[in-house]
Amino acid sequence: MVKFLKPGKVVIVLNGRFAGRKAVIVRSFDEGTRDRPYGHCLVAGIAKYPKKVIRKDSAKKTAKKSRVKAFLKLVNYTHIMPTRYTLDVDLKDVVTIDSLQSRDKKITASKETKERFQDRFKSGKNRWFFTKLRF
Amino acid sequence: MAPTKKTKKSTESINNRLALVMKSGKYTLGYKTVLRSLRSNKGKLVIIANNCPPLRKSEIEYYAMLAKVGVHHFNGNNVDLGTACGKYFRVCCLSISDPGDSDIIKSIPGDQ
Repeated sequence: MVKFLKPGKVVIVLNGRFAGRKAVIVRSFDEGTRDRPYGHCLVAGIAKYPKKVIRKDSAKKTAKKSRVKAFLKLVNYTHIMPTRYTLDVDLKDVVTIDSLQSRDKKITASKETKERFQDRFKSGKNRWFFTKLRF
Repeated sequence: MAPTKKTKKSTESINNRLALVMKSGKYTLGYKTVLRSLRSNKGKLVIIANNCPPLRKSEIEYYAMLAKVGVHHFNGNNVDLGTACGKYFRVCCLSISDPGDSDIIKSIPGDQ
């Protein structure tokens, strides 16, 4: 009985607009809160995956193809599928519960996660996280 | 080649141990609660019937692998597993959270 729904775990969102997208758990609420009386977690995921970059591409084209669009969401545990992968990118300071309260706070937080995801993608690590799940 | 069907003696012992868990321990029956018990680390052993749909079976096995919980493939279908639990309905998968007086957790995951 090892707790596996921990911050840093990569999950796949199963329901909703972002179904099929990979995300990383930023914060988990096992017992729920008053508004959400069920186990749920705050995830930061990829809304638009970066495109495939080939050797022929110019620098401008590579930069355009490596763009990532991120999303932040509070999801129920039953609507995610955990995987054996982890992504150790520090998002705790950027993605907080109150960053989801208003629209402009959410946009700034997701812009910051987008930057961090793009840096991680360009470094070439965690390649599985940035590939689209084929189904 | 070892016989694929387990001997009558060991199926009996699994059924006996399950009956003891039903009487004295804590368990949950059914797919939704099995996943919930695995997520919240309450489950200690998961038993799956042999006619469980393969996608569901592999999903439960994956969750159990992440939670480091043993999975036992019951030698019988969901009707038999329901009968072994003493219930009058079919049980496809169940999760044992507290074995009570039974030694099912110590003895069964050895032979899987």
